Amino acid sequence: MQKVIGSLTFRYIAKYLLVLSATVFLVVVGLYAFFSYNYFRDFSQSIIEEQETLQIVYEGQSLVGVRRYLQDQRDTQILDRFHYLVSDRAGDKMAGDLPESTGYREFDDGWVGFELALLEWGESIEVDFIAREVTLGDEYSVIVARSYEQAVHQARLVFATLARTMIITILLGLIGGYFAAARSLRRVEMLGREMSRIIRGDPSQRLDASAERGQVGELAIILNHLLDQTESLMHGVRSVSDNIAHDLRTPLSRLRNQLSELHHSLPAEKSEDVERLLNDCDSLLASFNAVLRISTMESGNRHAGGGEVDLRQLLSDVVELYEPVAQESEIELNWVTVPNASCQGEADLLFQMFANVLDNAIKYTQQQGSVRVELAHNSSNEDSGYRVVISDTGPGISAEHWEDVFRRFYRVEPSRSSQPGHGLGLSMAQAIAHYHGGTVDLEDNQPGLRVLINLP
Amino acid sequence: MNVLLVEDDQSVAKFICSELERVGHRSVHCTEGDLAYDTARDQAFDVWIVDRMLPGRDGLQLIQDLREIGNETPALVLSALGEVDDRVKGLRSGADDYLVKPFAMDELLARLQALSRRGVNNQDGTTRLQVQDLVMDLLKQNVSRRGLAVLLQPREYKLLEYLMRHAGQVVTRTMLLEHVWGYNFDPQTNVIDVHVSRLRQKIDKDFDTSLLLTVRGAGYRLGPEAQ
Repeated sequence: MQKVIGSLTFRYIAKYLLVLSATVFLVVVGLYAFFSYNYFRDFSQSIIEEQETLQIVYEGQSLVGVRRYLQDQRDTQILDRFHYLVSDRAGDKMAGDLPESTGYREFDDGWVGFELALLEWGESIEVDFIAREVTLGDEYSVIVARSYEQAVHQARLVFATLARTMIITILLGLIGGYFAAARSLRRVEMLGREMSRIIRGDPSQRLDASAERGQVGELAIILNHLLDQTESLMHGVRSVSDNIAHDLRTPLSRLRNQLSELHHSLPAEKSEDVERLLNDCDSLLASFNAVLRISTMESGNRHAGGGEVDLRQLLSDVVELYEPVAQESEIELNWVTVPNASCQGEADLLFQMFANVLDNAIKYTQQQGSVRVELAHNSSNEDSGYRVVISDTGPGISAEHWEDVFRRFYRVEPSRSSQPGHGLGLSMAQAIAHYHGGTVDLEDNQPGLRVLINLP
Repeated sequence: MNVLLVEDDQSVAKFICSELERVGHRSVHCTEGDLAYDTARDQAFDVWIVDRMLPGRDGLQLIQDLREIGNETPALVLSALGEVDDRVKGLRSGADDYLVKPFAMDELLARLQALSRRGVNNQDGTTRLQVQDLVMDLLKQNVSRRGLAVLLQPREYKLLEYLMRHAGQVVTRTMLLEHVWGYNFDPQTNVIDVHVSRLRQKIDKDFDTSLLLTVRGAGYRLGPEAQ
């Protein structure tokens, strides 16, 4: 549900509907204002005209004529007629059908409003009236009232119709908007997902631009260009580091050999500095070799066949090799396995991969901690490959670094030197896993780190 | 030691020859595969060093052809870092060891020594290895020093056996990994040192002379340097 609401399509349609209904609402409000203004203008005009008629009747025939006129009106007009109250100066009712006193609300210019139940309509609900009081000659005053209940009633009808219309409009808008937006927007969303998959996984893949039309297609082409550029930049950086590693190895080995000669010829007490230099040389050479091996595996095709490797034996050899190191640091090393596990692969490389990961696990686990190596089938299906989990109780790696640690020379600690190593262990492990068609993933061990290696 | 070097890169060859001479070995250098075949067939050498990529006959082919005519001289293949399974291919063709270029001269020398001694120390039928007062009985699989039994874990036994078979020679860490553990890989840390120091605890701790020595910058050596 969260995903649907968060989706681009949904948000687009929601915005579209919001604007649509706001527009419809404003139009309705405008119409209402316009019509009610006109209605009340005509309405009050009719009251004024009626009073003018009464005035003329009074001037010609005095109160008697007025009474007769009122009676005539009452007999002829049936619905929506005027109501009258003629009273003398003392306030006594002289003629008309309105009661003597009503709760009048006074407005400007002799206009009043009140509510009154009209029994002759057969129901006793109170209806709203608008009325106007004027003097009739010197002795009388007359109130002419007219109910606008009819108008209210009609307005209600109109509003109910409008509300229904609006609901239908919104519904139709929703469906229309969905169909109008869904295809292209869903394509855009899919492009986004594809992109992030490509960036995370295999940067050599491309979006299928030919499957898209119009601007989404153009977007796909632009994104593909971007991927091309990113990839060639990545290749550039990589080949520079490969070339450096490759070209420096030979002079470095020569340097090492000459240092070694020097070392042999010096008396023991003077050779310590040379020894340190020799160690530095070895460490540099090791890291250059590692870079080149990673590149070889990354650029090479996936491992084809190779030998049959007893994964159980291989892992127990790795564990055995590191057992004394763990013991020295007082780390408990646990090893759990399934009875039979063999896979296709290059034993030396797989050994290197597990050794790198286990080496890290032991290196970053504090004293009294524990490291666990577990070999299991990937699922209940025995042909679906193996999963090796190497988990430690060390400080772990926060999730933000999980992708970066597979980059060459990346080290989580800013100092780069608190632990020995070149920051190549995990990138090599990943390169080896990929080479075998497998994957390496990280998880939080709470506390510590879990490295999950899947092999086909 | 009599070494045949088959290498088409003149500067590398010159360097190796001069290093071999410096430590007292004699060497014959060929730059081309077919010529090397004739030389190896007609002369006796203690060990061959063969580059993989050669004009004429490829290095691995050369070794295979020589093996076919029954020549079992130990061979070490040199190769630029290439395909991942190169090593396996190299060893399958009949080579005895494989070293990736560029290499440390110490590593090459140690491996040459190990190869040349193979024929002597590694002969079938040997049931007993001895280095000074340290004795290993290969049949009973037990070890004693000056008559006192030394109790070893299986891997420690294999480690000591390899060291004793190459007594007096420098043995590098990668050689130990390859032959004692059976894997060729680059350990990130000093994991081998830990195993060796454990073994040293067991065989040297209670005795006044140390047999298992660390050769700085190169590896380890059991017993005094061989002449």
